[in-house]
Amino acid sequence: MSRDGRSPGFWRDAARRFRSSRIAGAAASFVGVLAFLALFAPFIAATRPIVCRYKGAHYFPILAYYWSGGENPIFSRDKFRGNFPKGLRTKDPESWALWPLLYQDPYRRVESGEWPDRPGSGVLEPPSARHLFGTDELGRDVCARVLFGTRTALLVGFVSMGIAAAIGLLVGGLAGYCGGKTDVVLSRLIELMMSIPTLVLVLALMSVIERPGIYHLMAVIGLTRWESVARYTRGELLRLKECDFVLAARALGAPWHRILLRHMLPNALAPVFVTVAFGIAGTILLESALSFLGFGAPPPTPSWGAVLKGWHGNLTCWWLAVFPGVAVFLTVLAYNVTGDGLQEAMDPRLRR
Amino acid sequence: MLAYTVRRLLIAGVTLVLISFVVYGLIRAMPGDPAVLARMGMEEGQALPVNDERFQEMRAAYGLDKAWPRAYLLWLGDLARGHLGTSLHQHVPVTGIILEKAGPTLLLTVISLGLSYILSIPLGLYAARRAGRPDERALSAVLYMLYSIPSYVAAVYLLLVFSVNLDLLPLFGMRGPEHETLSAAGKAWDLFQHLILPVTCYTYGTLAYYARFIRANLAEVLRQDYIRAARAKGLGETAVLVRHAFRNALIPFVTLLGLTLPALLSGSVILEQIFSWPGMGREFFHAIATRDYPLIMGLTMVFSVLILVGTLLADLLYAVVDPRISYS
Repeated sequence: MSRDGRSPGFWRDAARRFRSSRIAGAAASFVGVLAFLALFAPFIAATRPIVCRYKGAHYFPILAYYWSGGENPIFSRDKFRGNFPKGLRTKDPESWALWPLLYQDPYRRVESGEWPDRPGSGVLEPPSARHLFGTDELGRDVCARVLFGTRTALLVGFVSMGIAAAIGLLVGGLAGYCGGKTDVVLSRLIELMMSIPTLVLVLALMSVIERPGIYHLMAVIGLTRWESVARYTRGELLRLKECDFVLAARALGAPWHRILLRHMLPNALAPVFVTVAFGIAGTILLESALSFLGFGAPPPTPSWGAVLKGWHGNLTCWWLAVFPGVAVFLTVLAYNVTGDGLQEAMDPRLRR
Repeated sequence: MLAYTVRRLLIAGVTLVLISFVVYGLIRAMPGDPAVLARMGMEEGQALPVNDERFQEMRAAYGLDKAWPRAYLLWLGDLARGHLGTSLHQHVPVTGIILEKAGPTLLLTVISLGLSYILSIPLGLYAARRAGRPDERALSAVLYMLYSIPSYVAAVYLLLVFSVNLDLLPLFGMRGPEHETLSAAGKAWDLFQHLILPVTCYTYGTLAYYARFIRANLAEVLRQDYIRAARAKGLGETAVLVRHAFRNALIPFVTLLGLTLPALLSGSVILEQIFSWPGMGREFFHAIATRDYPLIMGLTMVFSVLILVGTLLADLLYAVVDPRISYS
């Protein structure tokens, strides 16, 4: 019972149940940490200043990591060529800058002398104080790449699952609500999607695209992973259609869209939520698997799978395998545990 | 039952045709067809020069000069007569390649499915019997972890430890370099050594999933009234579990086959690539890279047929093990 004397609604009750499970809470916090790392990766390991004063004005060069037009044109006009320490030093001795925690770059090797008194990064260096996770076959810092890989993984995970959930809700909703012939056709479509191995379809789709970028990847994964959402939505709506409260709404003369959107969909959302949580884990897995096979986001996009791929050519360099592997495992585990927690909190049949 | 089977087979046939239509359209939309790739190969100094005349000849031979719906119909007609065409790259019939590569893939899939079914039952029973105790909690946690480790990450780790660092097991392939010279027992031992890591990677995820599934089902069955009746007549907990609960918990277990096969076959594309296993998944990957249209089509068809057969088999088995279900 809540304070105002009414019994708590479904969502508040589910949230309370979710929080009461310690392990699900821990997993959800870890998901939060991952989101934080993904969002603030350029603040931790990058080669552009967070903020700098240059020729009498303040700039935020770090924004270039967030969107490609984020860099002030003054830096390209003054021919910085990505080397900010040298550029700032030589072009304006009065300048100052606030740097990220580690001077490393996920996209390229750090050259010798770029940072005062520091030799250039070697190729395939084992982990050391300077390169916490070692360097890869091109001399790039693995720590920075794994960190920025979080961005790639979460971005692909959320966006593609968002696309998949939208398609799934639409297809499943239509099939479940309309029934009859629509249901037969759409169910066949769902079955069709289930009968092609995902990786086979994704590989075929990815090779159709001329120069696949990360947004193509999201679209392709979204287009191939909606069938579980559709299946659950359809099943729930079929069940709800027979419920008395829907009959009551119909008897009151509610129009079909009101019945569907106000009465049925909110009740069908809980299992969809759970499916989406598991789906994000699956999508992150798929992204790294595709990058591992060389069919993912194009280089030099930092991705866990792409780092792992580097190990395949350098078998003795264990750091290329261990760190991205742990990252994939922990992320997938966290999303799976969160999904289970959601299921337990939302499914009244699982209550003890 | 027979009518149901026939109807399901017909539906599966229609699904197959639809899949082939979609995939055919997709691969014809791929940039860089095989003739173009061959011409690019010439610039890289290939033995066989491809002049304009030869280029047109190749396009005609590959059916690339026709609009794709027409080429698709021709392909479908060939399929109906049992021809899957000739591989553009290896210049041998696709059917032959598939027959050659199906063996290694099925070897892995069948062994792994068998092991999963056999091993998950005692694990699930044990977990249900000791529910709530520390050892059960540890076992369940381990199973959950296993279920969450991506199979290709596990493959990389296992290779790193057992093949690179300890040098105990072979790094790749299905046979060692001197396989042909070995005796029959030596050959079997050689194959076994090459099988250990791939089979482990294929199996552990499915195994963990199945064991958790059995445990969850047993927990549900144990709440039923007839279990209370069995306990009330004085049966021991183990007897209740094995003789009364387990048999009923098995019913949904058989349907898992239909859900596992797509995942296993999808996994074969990446795991066979890591282990250089000469199976269909690896062949598919190469076919995509070389734009080998007939081979891509043939392999997609085989994958889809296997999945459809698995699903159908699972549904039929369901009716066999559960007398309450009938499809007539």
